[in-house]
Amino acid sequence: MIFRIAWRNIWRNKIRSLVILLSVAIGLFAGIAVLALYKGMMNSRVRTVIYSETGHIQLHHKTFKNDYEARFVISNPEKLLQELRKNESVKQVATRTITQGMLATTTGSAGVQINGIDPAMENKVSGLLQKIRVGSGFEPGKKNQVLIGKKLADKMKLKPSSKLVLTFTDADGNIISAAFRVAAIYQSENTPMDERNVYVQQTELNPILNLGNGIHEIALILKQDTATHTVAKQLQQKYPDLLVEPWQNLSPETELMIDTVDITSYIIIGIILFALAFGIVNTMLMAILERTQEIGVMMALGMNRIRLFLLVFLETIFLTLIGTPIGLGIAWIVTSYYHRNGLNLESMGKEMMSNFGFSTLVYPEFPTEKLLGIMGIVLFTALASCIYPALKALRLRPIEALRK
Amino acid sequence: MSTVIDAHNISKIYNKENIPVYAINNVHLHINQGEFTALVGPSGSGKTTLLNLIGGLDKPDEGKIEINGIDITAMSPNKLIDFRLRNIGFVFQSFNLIPVLTARENVEFIMQLQGINKTEREARIQTLFRQIGLEDKMDSRPSQLSGGQQQRVAVARALASKPQFVLADEPTANLDTASASNLLDIMALLNKEENITFIFSTHDARVIERARRVITLVDGRITSDTAKVDTHVQH
Repeated sequence: MIFRIAWRNIWRNKIRSLVILLSVAIGLFAGIAVLALYKGMMNSRVRTVIYSETGHIQLHHKTFKNDYEARFVISNPEKLLQELRKNESVKQVATRTITQGMLATTTGSAGVQINGIDPAMENKVSGLLQKIRVGSGFEPGKKNQVLIGKKLADKMKLKPSSKLVLTFTDADGNIISAAFRVAAIYQSENTPMDERNVYVQQTELNPILNLGNGIHEIALILKQDTATHTVAKQLQQKYPDLLVEPWQNLSPETELMIDTVDITSYIIIGIILFALAFGIVNTMLMAILERTQEIGVMMALGMNRIRLFLLVFLETIFLTLIGTPIGLGIAWIVTSYYHRNGLNLESMGKEMMSNFGFSTLVYPEFPTEKLLGIMGIVLFTALASCIYPALKALRLRPIEALRK
Repeated sequence: MSTVIDAHNISKIYNKENIPVYAINNVHLHINQGEFTALVGPSGSGKTTLLNLIGGLDKPDEGKIEINGIDITAMSPNKLIDFRLRNIGFVFQSFNLIPVLTARENVEFIMQLQGINKTEREARIQTLFRQIGLEDKMDSRPSQLSGGQQQRVAVARALASKPQFVLADEPTANLDTASASNLLDIMALLNKEENITFIFSTHDARVIERARRVITLVDGRITSDTAKVDTHVQH
C-alpha cells in the first residue's frame, strides 16, 4: 500500500513532478552524451594509436629503446618474421629500422626520428600511404626519397621534391649525413607524431647505417584487439631476448587518458546529478510541507517512522527513476545516430584536437559498460535527496502536524 | 464492565509568556468498555486536548493514563505509534482520509499496517462497508464522496483495526443535519451491537442527545459527568 500511496502521491502535482522527471532525464542525457563522446574519442584515439602509430604489439632488442643506438638490432629477423606470420593471432607484420637524427634544410633544422620502412608492409600496419596529402609517395627508380609530416613540412617550408639533409649516427658510432628529396607529405591525426617522424626506404637506410638486413622494430597488427595482452605475454615467453610490449606500454599517455576519462566521466555524471539532487530535495520538501496534516494523520493512525521514511524514499526513487529510462532512451537514440553518422568536431578546433592525437570526426558510443555505475549514482542521488525531506517528515509530531 | 481508559489526575500545561496555562487541569477520568461518551464544553475548554492525551497523541505534564491497565504516558514515541495502531481508532473533524487512496484502500491501509492477511482484510472491509452503508462507494476516491460519506469511511477506518475504543473529535462539525444523523445512527448501532466504545468531543446538540454519558469540561476541568442510564457523577 505504501508503494501505491508513494506512486499516486507523485502525480498529485503533475507539473511539478514532470519538471523534476524531465530535469533528471535531461541531466542524465547530458551526462551520458558526454560519456558517449568521451568513449567515442577514446576509441578513436586507441584505434589511431594501434592502426597508425604503434600497432598492437612491438618487438625490439632488449636495450634498443634505452638510447636508440643503431647497433642494437633484432637478430635473425627473417626467421622471426616467418614465425610471427605463422602465428594465428597475427594479422599484419611490419619491420622498421629506426634512428634518431637531425633534419636540415637551407631554412633551418629539426630533430627527427628516421624510420626505415618497407612501404608495402608499413602501409598494411599503419596505413602510411593513405595519409599522404601532397605528392605520390615512394616512386620506383628514384633514390633517397623521404616522406615527411605536414607539420614538419610547414615548419621547415618543405614541398615535394625539396631537398633536405638527414644526419644521424650509424651502427659503428660514425656520424653520417645523407641528402634526401621529399617524395610526399603525409598528415595523420597526431600532429606531434607528424612533426617528429620521417620515413625513408629501409633498403636505403640500412646500408647507410651499416646494418645489413638488421631491423630495430617489428610492429604487429593482431586479428583481435582483445588478444593484445595475451599474445604479448606469449611472445615475451617465446622470445625472452626481445622486449615485447603491447600498445598500452608503447603509448602510456593513451592508457592514462582512458583511465582519467573513465574517472572524469563518473565525476561529470555525479556533478550533474548532485545539481539535480537540489531540485529533487526542493520538490520533496514542498510535497512534505503540503502534506503535513496528512502525514500527521498517518502517524496518528499508526504509521511508524520506518514506513514513513520508506514512503518519502519511494516517492523520491519514483521521481528519479521515471526520469532515468527517459534520459537513457534519449541518450541511446542520439548516440546511436551519431555513432552511425559521426560527429564532426572540426569547428571546435581541428588543430587543437590533432595536437592531442584525436580525430575531429568522433563516433560517440553508448557507454553500456557504465550503465550499472550510472544507475548506482542515480540511486545514490535518490537516496541522498530523500534523507533531508524524510527527516523533516520524521521530526513531525502527529499532534502538531494535525493542527496544520 | 471493564475499565478501558483510566486517567489519573492528568494535567496539560502550556506556557504563554512564561505564565503556565492549564489546558487540562487535574482531570480524573474512567471510561468503561462499551460507553458512548460525549465530551462537551465551550471552545478552549480542553476537549480536543483531552482526546489527544487519551489517544496518545500528546503526553500529560502531570498524572498518567492507562489503557486496559497499560500506562501509555511512559511509552516511547515508537511504541506509542504501534499502540495506537492496535488499540485506538480515530475520527477527525475534517475526515482526513488519504486522498490518493480509494475508500476501500483507506480502510485496508490500517489493516495492512497491522499485518492482517488479505483474506481477513477483505472480509472485514465487506463487513465494515455494509455497516456504514457504502458498499457501492468502495472504489471511490475521497474527492468523489460527500462529507457525510467521507466521515462514514473514516469511521470504518477507525474500526478496521478492531480498536479498544474510538476517539472522534467533533465528527459532525462539518456535516449537514441528514449526514450527521446518519453517522450517529451508524456509530450508535456499532456501539450497541459490537459494544465498541466511542468518545466524542462535540458542540453538537444532536451528538450530546444521543450520548449515554456526557462529560462537561470548562477551563480544563471536568465540571460535570452525567451518565444517562445508571451513573451520575458531579464534580
